[in-house]
Amino acid sequence: MNAMFEPFVDVVPSFFATLSQGPLTLTIFLHTIIVLPMIWIYRQEKARLEQEG
Amino acid sequence: MAKKSVWSDNRFWQRSAAWITGFASVLLIWLTFDTTAQISMGTDSDIQNGVTKRVPGPTVINYKITYEMNKKRQHEIPVIGGANADGTSSFQEKEKFFGRDDWSEEEATALLHLGKLGSQVKNCMNCHTLLGNGAYYAPDLTKAWLDPAWGPEGSMQAMTGKNTKEEAMAEFLQNPSQYPTHERMMPNLGITAEEAKGLVAFLKHMSTIDTNGFPRNFGKIQGAVNGK
Repeated sequence: MNAMFEPFVDVVPSFFATLSQGPLTLTIFLHTIIVLPMIWIYRQEKARLEQEG
Repeated sequence: MAKKSVWSDNRFWQRSAAWITGFASVLLIWLTFDTTAQISMGTDSDIQNGVTKRVPGPTVINYKITYEMNKKRQHEIPVIGGANADGTSSFQEKEKFFGRDDWSEEEATALLHLGKLGSQVKNCMNCHTLLGNGAYYAPDLTKAWLDPAWGPEGSMQAMTGKNTKEEAMAEFLQNPSQYPTHERMMPNLGITAEEAKGLVAFLKHMSTIDTNGFPRNFGKIQGAVNGK
């Protein structure tokens, strides 16, 4: 109990149930889908600005 | 000319915002369909085949309903027709509802429909809470069917002069202002006998909905955590 990883206990396992299993799961998911693409966009834009500059 | 920073570049922010908005839209549309699937009502054949649905089919009113602590999920779950070894519903043990335990899917659906419309017409939610919606002026009705006050050891059957839970509830609903239940007594809403029957079926069905343990620590449930 109260471990970092808890057993999956939802009635019907679904993608959204995995997101709400604990405090970390949603955070990790959102950082993955928001921050990682932004780093990628950042690099592309940086390359573009350097080319233009 | 000074070197331009990406952070002050409009395109970087535009593209980031477009990505997040687009992805969130997709996610929310997907969530809508996922939720729809989870809250769709089951059927009689689900019950016959022992398939546990979050919202069971209407014929669940033919079965005995209990509410038991589930070790794995760490909260209470509705158990329909007795429990299997792992604590899930076995759909075996029946219970008479107004003298019958063979309500067909059509009859049970019609009765639940009447109860649902009745609950809206009489505006139960103006005082009560149903599945998290409504007021807390009067008791939460989400798991009212499981309240031991209506059971054989509770006071309501003796008070209403009835021998079963459903008859006691129906009698109370027709003449609520006659029975001193609460400091804030329920007013007489002119509920007919047939409407009362529907409302009780509606309450029994609602108690079988898996609400992930909501309402938490609703102390009037037999076997609940901190239950009275």
